[in-house]
Amino acid sequence: MDFELNEEQKDIANAAREFAQGEFDKDYAMECDQEHKFPRELVKKAGQLGFIGVHYEEEYGGAGLGALENTLIVEEMCRVDSTLGICMALPDFGCEIIKWCGTEEQKKKYLPKVCSGEWISAGIFTEPDHGSDITEMSTTAVKDGDEWVINGTKTFITNGEIADFGVILVQTDPDANPKYRGMSTIIVEKDCWEAADVGPKMGIRSTSTAELSFSDARVPLENLIGVENKGFYQVLEFFDESRIEIAAQALGTAEAAYDRVMDYIKQRELHGRKLASFQITQHKIADMATKIEAAKLLVYKSAWNYDKERKIDPVLTSMAKWFAARTAVEVADEAIQLFGGYGYITDYEVERIYRDAKICEIYEGTREVQKNTIASGVIGKF
Amino acid sequence: MEIVVCVKRVPDTSEADVVITGKDIKKDDLAFEINEWDNYAVEEAVQIKEKLGGNITVISVGDEEAKEVIRRGLAMGGDTGIRIDHPALAGSDSMAIAKTLAAAIKDIDYDLVLTGAQAGDLGAGIVPVALAEMLGVPHATLAVGLDIEDGKAKVKRELEGGLMEVLEMDLPAVVGVQTGINEPRYVSIMGIRKASKKEIKLLDISDLGLLPKDVGEEGSLTVIEELSVPPVTKVAEILEGDPAEAASKLAEIMKEKGVL
Amino acid sequence: MAEIFVLAEHREGELREITFEMLGAAKYLGKDMGATVTAVLLGHDVDTYAEKLGSYADTVLVVDDPKLDYFNAEIYQKVLSKLISDKNPVVTLIGHTAFGMDLAPALAVELGLPLATDCIGLEVDGGKLFVTRQIYSGKVNAKVSLKGDQYMVTIRSAAFPVEEGTLSGEIVKEAVAIEDVPYRKFIGYEEAPAGEVDITQADYIIGIGRAIGDPENIPMVEELAEALGGVLACSRPVVDKNWLPKDRQVGSSGKIVKPKLYLALGISGAFQHVAGMKDSGLIVAINKDPKAPIFNVADYGIVNDLFKIVPVLKEKITELKG
Ligand SMILES: Cc1cc2nc3c(=O)[nH]c(=O)nc-3n(C[C@H](O)[C@H](O)[C@H](O)COP(=O)(O)OP(=O)(O)OC[C@H]3O[C@@H](n4cnc5c(N)ncnc54)[C@H](O)[C@@H]3O)c2cc1C
Ligand SMILES: Cc1cc2nc3c(=O)[nH]c(=O)nc-3n(C[C@H](O)[C@H](O)[C@H](O)COP(=O)(O)OP(=O)(O)OC[C@H]3O[C@@H](n4cnc5c(N)ncnc54)[C@H](O)[C@@H]3O)c2cc1C
Ligand SMILES: Cc1cc2nc3c(=O)[nH]c(=O)nc-3n(C[C@H](O)[C@H](O)[C@H](O)COP(=O)(O)OP(=O)(O)OC[C@H]3O[C@@H](n4cnc5c(N)ncnc54)[C@H](O)[C@@H]3O)c2cc1C
Repeated sequence: MDFELNEEQKDIANAAREFAQGEFDKDYAMECDQEHKFPRELVKKAGQLGFIGVHYEEEYGGAGLGALENTLIVEEMCRVDSTLGICMALPDFGCEIIKWCGTEEQKKKYLPKVCSGEWISAGIFTEPDHGSDITEMSTTAVKDGDEWVINGTKTFITNGEIADFGVILVQTDPDANPKYRGMSTIIVEKDCWEAADVGPKMGIRSTSTAELSFSDARVPLENLIGVENKGFYQVLEFFDESRIEIAAQALGTAEAAYDRVMDYIKQRELHGRKLASFQITQHKIADMATKIEAAKLLVYKSAWNYDKERKIDPVLTSMAKWFAARTAVEVADEAIQLFGGYGYITDYEVERIYRDAKICEIYEGTREVQKNTIASGVIGKF
Repeated sequence: MEIVVCVKRVPDTSEADVVITGKDIKKDDLAFEINEWDNYAVEEAVQIKEKLGGNITVISVGDEEAKEVIRRGLAMGGDTGIRIDHPALAGSDSMAIAKTLAAAIKDIDYDLVLTGAQAGDLGAGIVPVALAEMLGVPHATLAVGLDIEDGKAKVKRELEGGLMEVLEMDLPAVVGVQTGINEPRYVSIMGIRKASKKEIKLLDISDLGLLPKDVGEEGSLTVIEELSVPPVTKVAEILEGDPAEAASKLAEIMKEKGVL
Repeated sequence: MAEIFVLAEHREGELREITFEMLGAAKYLGKDMGATVTAVLLGHDVDTYAEKLGSYADTVLVVDDPKLDYFNAEIYQKVLSKLISDKNPVVTLIGHTAFGMDLAPALAVELGLPLATDCIGLEVDGGKLFVTRQIYSGKVNAKVSLKGDQYMVTIRSAAFPVEEGTLSGEIVKEAVAIEDVPYRKFIGYEEAPAGEVDITQADYIIGIGRAIGDPENIPMVEELAEALGGVLACSRPVVDKNWLPKDRQVGSSGKIVKPKLYLALGISGAFQHVAGMKDSGLIVAINKDPKAPIFNVADYGIVNDLFKIVPVLKEKITELKG
């Protein structure tokens, strides 16, 4: 057993931190948060330096590294700033499906431009009526000549308004029984959909979240990814990888709150003492530190496990995801508490971190869905 | 151009609580980084290489952890690394370190050696100029501008009060780099990937023809005897309270003292 | 009798302050060591300097040569190594300045002398020399001993006070043959370009440090400066990163300022910065780190995040100014 990161991994984490510390500015983060603004130029810079999509092969613009290296980057960036950090992590959202199941042409066309920060992708799965339960899709794709004709509405799509293309999950065989055996993933480009922002949201406000409507959208048949009607399985496998990334986001976000509160308790004086000198503060910090350490072990282990010959272990991934997400929410919550009134004020950052943390318990499978996965893994069907 | 860059790994103490233990400070809780000046030196080397071609050797005297700053130099564009380590080096002063570096560098067919003008932790500012003397080549330290042309280095040296001295010297030479000479790049993932394939040679002092007595405390002419917290000659009156309270106290004082 | 050498530093027609500070330090050191003080003056047409130095030293040793007109580390080293080998001074003091940093280490190597740089204290104990120097961001003082019985030390600017010159030292001219220097050629001086604001003329200065973090934060402090009717200046890292022009830099390699108010925001108080602002009327520092050395220079301090203080301070000031 060896819990050490290797040298290259340490260097990657350091480089990501240096980049984020050098480029992320608190005022800009607050502006992006308040004005729902996506930091497009920062994403380009991060892409040029190779921070986006390190887990894609070198021939497709990545660095030929794994989920663990991606985890370290996402963690460090979110640790410096949870709002800007997540924007550096999601520009390739959904592309792992192309990486694992796509054709050579698809990989060559889409992946390098995403890794370099030029293009942004979307993972288009959720529908108004199908969120946690994606065993059935209302959106359909029907073959017409050499094209797919896509109809339906997708919602909560990250990057919806800014994406250049996306990977959509659709029903291609409506008669399949069960339904999920009739779903496929298809690459769609931005002219295929109409996007409408879903409106102001609680956190990660620097990201775009949109409803996408497809009405007789036509794409070539060769935009199908992998085998027809295997889309559901592709997406499940995708989640096993992308949940690690969200767990990394959660871990970094928890650390962001922790760093800020550590600074604060050492400065803040009340009753003639430093806040850090109260035992109740110390216990709170001890709790936070322990939870973060536990989350880190789970997240790193799930990434490490994934990188070992792509061994997929949904139980472990779900544990990492829900636990890290819960940790982020709890640590940010206690951080606000320790800041007192200041914690409630935007300028002190922890309230923004708290708002940013919460999404980790919702997207990429809610906390409840993660626990379902774990339970069915450890108990079996009951 | 064959360029050698000397880099040192130093603790960042600018915002940290510094705790003295014996003849050094407690370093477990401190973040370490490449010496700020050396980061500029590496960038300068890489820019020269990009312009004139050549090869960059990144060299550090230090323990296993020092590999981190060597790899960083390689990731920014260096070609090979050298780390010099030996238990006898403990307690070396700047001159002993310069001696060690000189012993390693003399075997390289170099045109230019770049160092930081000083290290941020101990701040002696000795190594570049001492190293040049030991190598028998010209030097200039506190460089804020460097141009290499026709086998000569044109250096802009920073003096006090915003004045600069412009000078020219023959290569090979040693230049001590001052901050602000360039804009150091970020380390990129591609750089790290390449660096991981580059060699970092480990040299022992015996590989350099040095004996344990040539370095460490024995080989040094200066010795740290004691560390202490600087005596406080004057302390500011600290204005307590939350930001609004403290700020209004300050504004009142400013008014009282007639500076508003 | 033993001798202490003090290397006089001059540039562009003036003896530099550090020279007199060192002579002050040498006077006390001389008493403790039973040594006389010799000011060593290298230059060309420097009789007026020599006379002036005579009031501060027992002897003024002058080497006058056109080749010494400008400081050139290589030529200075040659002449000094000859002088030191001949006269064997027990201590040689050189300024820890751009001039001394470029010279002392090579000279020490050539002569095999122990060298301690950037010293702020000198002490003799049992005939041995101990120096004090600051390390780790000025948060620790190190007492350092030098081996042997002949030493070289460089002295930090403004670490020692200038004493009144009451002596009438003898001026001794020494001829040293200077061969041509093969390597290094002085080309000229260059002034940093002047900008639109002359911070040395301002009554109210807000100095910003590395902690400002990003050029986008500068307008916020500019507003505070406006409210005060003052100007913005900065520490060196701010200039290194091109966030403000060089002519706004305060400190030893920047400008020396003496405003009525100097407000240091996120500046640690490195001595090179302090050298440029310590004589200001009222000094106020805002810094997150209660142990930052700037609080040993400031009259008043606030230990807090500057980004929290600046906006409220601006309001309060505007309020009070009516
Ligand atoms: C900001 C944001 C960004 C998003 N980005 C994307 C994106 O890029 N692409 C995309 O496809 N989707 C995206 N989503 C959608 C997200 O993945 C879904 O919102 C999420 O999966 C939950 O689905 P739902 O909203 O339909 O909730 P529902 O499924 O309606 O869940 C409601 C509640 O029921 C619980 N629940 C559901 N099933 C069970 C069960 N079996 N047992 C117990 N409890 C259960 C849930 O945990 C939840 O508490 C995003 C959402 C948000 C808010
Ligand atoms: C008490 C004590 C214990 C020490 N123990 C050790 C030890 O165990 N092992 C050890 O290796 N050293 C040790 N040292 C040496 C010390 O850490 C410095 O490396 C040395 O004193 C150089 O001085 P400086 O940092 O002031 O250099 P400066 O002259 O201020 O540095 C200028 C430039 O020289 C170069 N440089 C300086 N140091 C190095 C280096 N180590 N490698 C490569 N380039 C360098 C850099 O380019 C730097 O910018 C010890 C020193 C002391 C005082
Ligand atoms: C030959 C030479 C000449 C030099 N000349 C000069 C010169 O002329 N002028 C000069 O300034 N420097 C000069 N320097 C550089 C000098 O040694 C220091 O490196 C420099 O002054 C440090 O600048 P700083 O205080 O802004 O940064 P740092 O030392 O990094 O200090 C930043 C400070 O900000 C505080 N801080 C961080 N965040 C916040 C926040 N949010 N709110 C409040 N406080 C915060 C930290 O606690 C820290 O004390 C020179 C160096 C050399 C070698």
